[in-house]
Formats: sequence, structure tokens, C-alpha cells
Amino acid sequence: MAAPMELFCWSGGWGLPSVDLDSLAVLTYARFTGAPLKVHKISNPWRSPSGTLPALRTSHGEVISVPHKIITHLRKEKFNADYDLSARQGADTLAFVSLLEEKLLPVLIHTFWIDAKNYVEVTRKWYAEAMPFPLNFFLPGRMQRQHMERLQLLCGEHRPEHEEELEKELYQDARECLTLLSQRLGSQKFFFGDAPASLDAFVFSYLALLLQVKLPSGKLQAHLRGLHNLCAYCTHILSLYFPWDGAEVPPPRQTPVSPETEEEPYRRRTQVLSVLAGLAAMVGYALLSGIVSVQRATPARTPGTGALGMAEGDEEE
Amino acid sequence: MCNLPIKVVCRANAEYMSPSGKVPFIHVGNQVVSELGPIVQFVKAKGHSLSDGLDEVQKAEMKAYMELVNNMLLTAELYLQWCDEATVGEITHARYGSPYPWPLNRILAYQKQWEVKRKMKAIGWGKKTLDQVLEDVDQCCQALSQRLGTQPYFFNKQPTELDALVFGHLYTILTTQLTNDELSEKVKNYSNLLAFCRRIEQHYFEDRAKGSSSIRLS
Repeated sequence: MAAPMELFCWSGGWGLPSVDLDSLAVLTYARFTGAPLKVHKISNPWRSPSGTLPALRTSHGEVISVPHKIITHLRKEKFNADYDLSARQGADTLAFVSLLEEKLLPVLIHTFWIDAKNYVEVTRKWYAEAMPFPLNFFLPGRMQRQHMERLQLLCGEHRPEHEEELEKELYQDARECLTLLSQRLGSQKFFFGDAPASLDAFVFSYLALLLQVKLPSGKLQAHLRGLHNLCAYCTHILSLYFPWDGAEVPPPRQTPVSPETEEEPYRRRTQVLSVLAGLAAMVGYALLSGIVSVQRATPARTPGTGALGMAEGDEEE
Repeated sequence: MCNLPIKVVCRANAEYMSPSGKVPFIHVGNQVVSELGPIVQFVKAKGHSLSDGLDEVQKAEMKAYMELVNNMLLTAELYLQWCDEATVGEITHARYGSPYPWPLNRILAYQKQWEVKRKMKAIGWGKKTLDQVLEDVDQCCQALSQRLGTQPYFFNKQPTELDALVFGHLYTILTTQLTNDELSEKVKNYSNLLAFCRRIEQHYFEDRAKGSSSIRLS
């Protein structure tokens, strides 16, 4: 067999294996099928072979970057999670994926990229910290503009005075969609019985992002938490297929203070170091420019007391 | 299908009259409601609904299939009308600009085309070729055909909103003359979908549609 397939996707954060919707979906599908992929988790889209993430480099060197096409390619390489589905279930998959894209995707984009609080405190913060210099200055802003344009085109041209109404409608549609998904799932483990299929990968990626990320204004989260079967479904997949990534979730959840205390020693250290550096710079400058001079003759006089005073070294000179 | 009395009116500025910018819309008393979803809700609020007999899971499936149709068939129709050069040049520009005098017909047609192309790019269809679009339509029809199976309507004996939506799209595809018939050929491959359209046309439209185009089964 030729070189193994390589998948480039956004790295993990917020307790999830990946912070990006498409990357998460593709990664989940790959885990479901046990495809032998070499996964590169990067946070610089310019390092990916196609310039965007996620991207799959096949064993023949071809690069695919549309998520649906990546999954189709994996299917062709005999990693097919939908193998056991009947024709009717395959049709249902198509239909439910369309439902997700029409109803949940706009709200997801809005929650993470348009909602001011969320964008500044969560999304932009993560991307700015994760991306290397100097990309972190302009890429998050560019991504936001792209998402905003996409959202505008998806929802049709809306006039500014109707924006609040549009937002309410969007969230209403999303809540309805989540309820429908919950009813379709019922008490099953996965959407089509006991084995996961591609639909599960897509639904999981949407739900995981909405549920696991701590958002300052999570209007949809409250509704989603009320749908217990969807929450259980989400945690079940996380614990089953992403055990080591999922393990990062508990500590930040227990106490909101703990992330602060973990940073404390580092913060203290940085503070002390910066103060010392500042002091050393000042003293060094003072010594070098001759404002003060250090006396070594009399042991009684310590450099500390003599440093800030005027130079009284008559005996020396 | 609900047996509600309606009068169909064709206006050139229908898109501008509509509150959301999209057709169709209905004008009832002093209320104007546009697009299928809100119209269905509105009619339901007045006491007429086709999907009352469905259970929750079926309602979920119905909504999902309606989105599938919107996602694939509607976008494919838009693509074919506005992004396929042959069709655009011969049919769409002429048809869209016909109510207006020159040069308005040209300007409006180009504006609409630019708008549609932008939307296609945003949803990722900008780079698709005609063949890929037709393949997607085929997949969609296959899914619908499998869901319909041998039943008379999608949810067995009674028609629902899904049947109305699917009929609307398929009928338009089958009866509109375009430069190439590939789109209607794709639909004609599925005999149960054809029979479905014929059945609805006969049942609900035959007495009203005297002399207008009917489905050609070639």
C-alpha cells in the first residue's frame, strides 16, 4: 500500500479533539471506521496542503478539502461506516444532514462568530492564542468576516432593523431542529441502531461544539441541556472514541477557580522575573552611565546603601 | 390539498412585494405571509394542517426530507437557471427581464445573476460543474424514491407538506422547457416519482388546469 493517508485538522481545545466543526466531523468519522490516518493537529491553516482545514492527503498525494468529499473518499477506501445501512436509512442520512446544514449551521456560526461576547471571549481568544505570529493578528478577523458573509448569504439579505427578529427566528429554528433530532434518536445508542454511521459523526460534531464549550452567552446550550438523550449521546461518543481528549474536560469543569490557580505559579513567576529584569536594567544603566558608583574599599559600606546616594568615594579617587 | 379557496395572481414585482423578498407569498385579509414554512404555520394556526396524523419521529423525518429538497433540488434549479451559461443566455435572461423595458430588463437580470452566483459560492456550489450538480440531483431523487417506495404518498395514505413540496419541484423540473433536458431525464429515471407526480396532478389539478402543460411521459 502506498503512503498512509494524512489528515490535517484544527487542533483541540475547550475539551474537544478539535475546535472546528468540519475537522471534528471528519475526525469522528475516521475514529468510527478505524481508518489508519496520520492526524496532524495544527493551528496554522497555511501549513495545510490545501490552505484550508480540514484537508486530507490521500495515499496517492491528492489533496481533498471539502468535508463531504473527504468522507466519500474514506468510503471508497473501504472505510465505510454506512455499509450496513439499508437504502432507506441512507436516504434518511442525506435528509438529516440537510436538516443540520439548514437549521443548525447558521446558529452555530452565529453563536461562535457573530455574537459579540462569545466571539471576543472564546473564539477569537482561542484562535489568537493558537495561531503563530503574525497570523494571529489578522486571520481571526478575516475568518469572522468570511463567516459573517456566509451567514448573510445563507439567511438572505436582512435589513438591520429586522436583525433581532431574524436572530430570534434562527434560534427558534435551531431549537426545533434539536428537538426533532432528540425525537429521532429516541433511546437508541446511535441513530441507526448499535453501530455509528456517518450521520452520527455529523450530529456529534454539532452537538459537541454546542454542548461542551463554555460560552458566556449560550442561549442554545440551555435548551440542549434539557434534551437528556442528546447530552448522553454526546458524552457517550466522547468517552468511547476520544477517551484521552475527553479526559481534559473534568478539571476545568469542577471549579471555575482551578484554571486560575494553575496559572498562578506561572503568573507569579513571570511577575517576579519581570520586576527583577526591570531592576537589573535600571541598576545596570545607573552604574554604566556613572550616576552612581560602587565602593569596594570600606567593607562597612554596603553597595545597597551607597547605590542610590551620591558618589562619596573621595578616598578612592 | 387542504381544500382552501385561493386565487393565483402573477405580478412582475412579486419579489419586492413580499416581506422577506422571496416568493411565493399569500395575502389574507390584512396579513401577508411569505415562503412555504411560514405559510404552513399560518394555515395551521387557522386550523388546517396536513401533518396532524403523524407521530413525532415521522414529523422529524418529514422536516428533514423537506430540508433535503430545499438544499439539493432548489439549489440545483437555481444553479441551472443562473450559472449554466447556455440556459442563462437563451432562456433565463429573456424570461426574467420580460416584464420590463430595455435597459431595465438587462440590468435586473444581471443583478439577479450576480446575487445567485454569490450565494452559490457561499454554500460551496460555486466550483461545481454541471455534471456534479446533476449527480447531486440524482442522489436526491434516489433518496426520495427510496423513501416513497410503493406508497401513494410519502407518509402512506395521506398527503403532507412534504408531498406538496416534492410535487412542486418535480413538476416544475418535468414541465419546464430548457436547453438541455438532462435534469428532467434524471427525474424520469425514477418511475415511482413520475407516477407520484401524475397522481397528484390528476387528483388536485386536473379540473383546474385545462389547457395548461401536463407531464409528458416520453
